[in-house]
Amino acid sequence: MIAAVALVIGVVVGLFVQPTAPTWLQPYLPIAVVAALDAVFGALRAHFDGIFDDKVFVVSFVSNVLVAALIVFLGDQLGVGAALSTAVTVVLGIRIFGNVAAIRRHLFRA
Amino acid sequence: MSLLVDMMTNTLDPGYAEAAASRARTGAPDAPRRAIQRAGAVAAAALAGLILVTASSEARRSAPELAKARADLVGQVRQRTSQVTGLQRQVLALSAKVARLRQAGLGGTSSGRRLAAQLAALQLAAGAVPVTGPAVRVTLTDARLPAGATDSTRQDEGGQVLDTDLQHVVNALWASGAEAIAVNDQRVTALTSIRAAGNAIVVDFRPVDPPYVVTALGDPDTLEQSFVSSSAAAALRTYSQAYGLGFAVKGLSDATLPAAAAPALYAARPGAVPTPSTGGSS
Repeated sequence: MIAAVALVIGVVVGLFVQPTAPTWLQPYLPIAVVAALDAVFGALRAHFDGIFDDKVFVVSFVSNVLVAALIVFLGDQLGVGAALSTAVTVVLGIRIFGNVAAIRRHLFRA
Repeated sequence: MSLLVDMMTNTLDPGYAEAAASRARTGAPDAPRRAIQRAGAVAAAALAGLILVTASSEARRSAPELAKARADLVGQVRQRTSQVTGLQRQVLALSAKVARLRQAGLGGTSSGRRLAAQLAALQLAAGAVPVTGPAVRVTLTDARLPAGATDSTRQDEGGQVLDTDLQHVVNALWASGAEAIAVNDQRVTALTSIRAAGNAIVVDFRPVDPPYVVTALGDPDTLEQSFVSSSAAAALRTYSQAYGLGFAVKGLSDATLPAAAAPALYAARPGAVPTPSTGGSS
């Protein structure tokens, strides 16, 4: 619950501060966003499943973002950056979809 | 396969289940540790929100920049095109002046007048001067698009005028006795190319837009008849019936075609001016 409030606070702060990502970070930002979304929806689902755990959330969030960035970085170095970015987006997208479906079942019992 | 199935079914991080199991086994961690973990989760959630907003504002910021870069390029193309047009107008004016001066220089002697007449005939054939006379006008238009169709479907279905169609029409007009031809007011000479560049047709390296109007000057009695009975015209009539491509032939009593752009010289350079010999061979 507190985490949800923190998320909203993060969004509001971002809206007010309008942060600019440094140039070296910009290639990783889109993938980092998808990874962060995956972690957030995973946490939300775990919350509804009644097994939410702060530590697991932090670890999964940080590792998701780092691994996503690492994959993009490696792909860029090896010349398959676009393909790997697509792969990451697809995998994380499927996970987000599945988690949202589980959340929906919790919320609407359907 | 099992990897894909696993990916589809186990969407939740297995860490959550493990943590719940270990909590059930050993009980909840002590309060200070729980507080630290809670703080970490809060920070991570806030960071996630921040990343989301940053990315979205980043994306919104870069969109107008892309549009601006495109608009800049379009503006540059327009500017250069008008520059080229201006220069070409200058070339035409200067060559008219050259022609006047040449006329004045050659008009004095009988051999000069002979040369001038020869030059005029050659210029006419080479398309270096505007010409006027009776003409035949062939108009080609793309088939009208059915609702919801795209350019590529029209191309697939054969309703689009291709560069080869235009080539065939021009060649058939030459074969029918045309003396001068222009496509969309662009004079066609022996050195003019008609080609496709992507979806557009370029005549003499300048794009022409539909409707394609081919105007040919020639003998009014034979040119139109001869062209209409040519195989190119027969093919276009078939396309017109089958695919709805527009094809019209019309005789004109009087038409004027512009001069062709001066041919560019790539390898040839002006040589030494020969000294006028007084004895002279004729």
